[in-house]
Amino acid sequence: MKASGFPYVLPMLLLSVAFFATPLAVLVGFSFAGPGGATLEHYARFFGDAFNFRVLVNTARLGLETVIGTTLLGVPIALLYWHGGRNLRQVLIFLTLIPMLTSNVVRTFAWIVILGRQGPISEALVGLGLTGMPTSLLFTELGLIMAMCQIDLPLIILPLIAILSRTPVQLTEAAQVSGAGPWRIFVTVLLPLMLPGLLAGWILVFASTSSSFVTQAVIGGARNVYVPQLIYREVGTLFDWPLASAIAVVLLLSTGCLLVALTMMSRHRRLVGHA
Amino acid sequence: MNEMKDFQITRRGFGFLAAGAAASAMLPLSARAAGGGAVAATFPGSWEDAYRTVLTPMVKDAGYDLTIAPAMAQDQLAKIMASPGNPPYDTLLMSPGQMAVAIEKDLIQKIDPSKLKNWGMLDPSFQGEYGPTVTIEVNGIAYNPDLVPKPKGYRDLFENPAFSGKVSWTGFASNTAVMAYTEIAKIFGSGPNDMDAVFKLFKDHPEHLKGVVDSTNHQMTLFQQGEIAVFMCSTGNVAHLKSLGLNAEFVHPETGSPAAPVNIHLTKGSANLDAAYAYMDAAISKAAQDQLKEPPTEMFPTNKDVALTPGIEAYVTRDQIKTMVYPDWVAINKNRDDWIRQFDALVAG
Repeated sequence: MKASGFPYVLPMLLLSVAFFATPLAVLVGFSFAGPGGATLEHYARFFGDAFNFRVLVNTARLGLETVIGTTLLGVPIALLYWHGGRNLRQVLIFLTLIPMLTSNVVRTFAWIVILGRQGPISEALVGLGLTGMPTSLLFTELGLIMAMCQIDLPLIILPLIAILSRTPVQLTEAAQVSGAGPWRIFVTVLLPLMLPGLLAGWILVFASTSSSFVTQAVIGGARNVYVPQLIYREVGTLFDWPLASAIAVVLLLSTGCLLVALTMMSRHRRLVGHA
Repeated sequence: MNEMKDFQITRRGFGFLAAGAAASAMLPLSARAAGGGAVAATFPGSWEDAYRTVLTPMVKDAGYDLTIAPAMAQDQLAKIMASPGNPPYDTLLMSPGQMAVAIEKDLIQKIDPSKLKNWGMLDPSFQGEYGPTVTIEVNGIAYNPDLVPKPKGYRDLFENPAFSGKVSWTGFASNTAVMAYTEIAKIFGSGPNDMDAVFKLFKDHPEHLKGVVDSTNHQMTLFQQGEIAVFMCSTGNVAHLKSLGLNAEFVHPETGSPAAPVNIHLTKGSANLDAAYAYMDAAISKAAQDQLKEPPTEMFPTNKDVALTPGIEAYVTRDQIKTMVYPDWVAINKNRDDWIRQFDALVAG
């Protein structure tokens, strides 16, 4: 079977080599480029500066915080879809997909209005008496996480819906009949079923958040620096491409390690069962 | 169990979708291939709109296609450095800071003025060997009179409590910011390159670090939203804000206004020289500059035959242009990398 299928895979394989593997190899090559041959100097420069290491940690933390936020928002929406009727499902799918059709830049700039001093959040806080004066969440990590959660929410909802769509709703009724309460049903029945979808969503959200240059720069401001901004600075402002390549490789490896761990979890039989 | 039908897509539908995506991805390439004219890098925003509206038809009349490609000066440099020998732009638009880098890295070439009919209409100071000056950007301070008093200058921004927490700055990657910082270095330090004095000033006034953002364009958005009340700008930025109906005013700092000529440069390896010269000539023509001097762009005309509008004269006259502060970009470029890294670390805390 393998031999007969190979010719069909060949075009995709060639495309992958030409447009993915080769640029990646060039990037890695750049990161070792020195005047006298291969060098580790650029990596040493990156890790030799405590500021850079802090930026790397901040980027990973932003990714994890957004993963937590999107999970807390996405799971209830996916369950609502699962339990809902045809009309509700269509509305939920529409509301999930429509933002994805809007440019990230537009959504990011919309968040400037929402998070600003005269925005609805600030007005609600003043109206509820929680703050005495208008408060801006712009240029704060909290504001950035809120924006990232909204922007990346479809990336976790869609895999969850895909998983739950294959699961009969009667499963919860069977568990109920067997005497399980709602919390027990969620933890012992639904969560293991949803785990493959959650893992896929976490991978997508983490990768998207940690590389989301525009939103990080616009909502996070210059005080919250993340790795993509560092790379852009080295390429577009300082023209130090070898260092930029080294930073990109570090980001790729650190994100890659996390993604490999999550992927391994998604293949763990004891963890995800037969879902 | 049949709910997966909601997500099903036919093979034909998928084929159309894939073909559509591939076709849209190829559009920029086909646009360039079909045109065969010049690709001119232009600053995004009002510059891009104005140049596309005014210059594209003029170059078309001269018999060439013109593609206006928006990119900040730093991005233009990065992109042509990425494609040595096959530059993505035929011409670049930049200030002396980036021009010095482009010359040093051998990315632009000297022009042949005999190919520009309007060359003689420029003052000799605007006739650069690496391309004509199309306008002078005069820099100063923009403020919202509804929120803050009129600032006297840079010192006032740090010493008058009325401005506390209402001023926005950008990093050293921005030419506008660098020019302001060199002026601040003169006021609070020993000279234009004494940036330690500027960094100390920010450390002593951490409220100024809260409003640091990436670019002047971003500051314009924040100004529009009432998030900030003061930022370092060019007269063009304020003209644009005013054209949007915003209450924005421009003030010349009491220590002098830094200024930057904006030039069109011919990229080394440009394959469309005739079209590039036609575009350059159009940009310095009376017909073009008569339109570009009007709101919302209000660009200072470098063509001698173009009269200044009352709006431009309110900011700067032809005589004042000579008295502006013109920074030493070679000295700035020597230190810029170090300043950028130091400032970013300072801002991030």
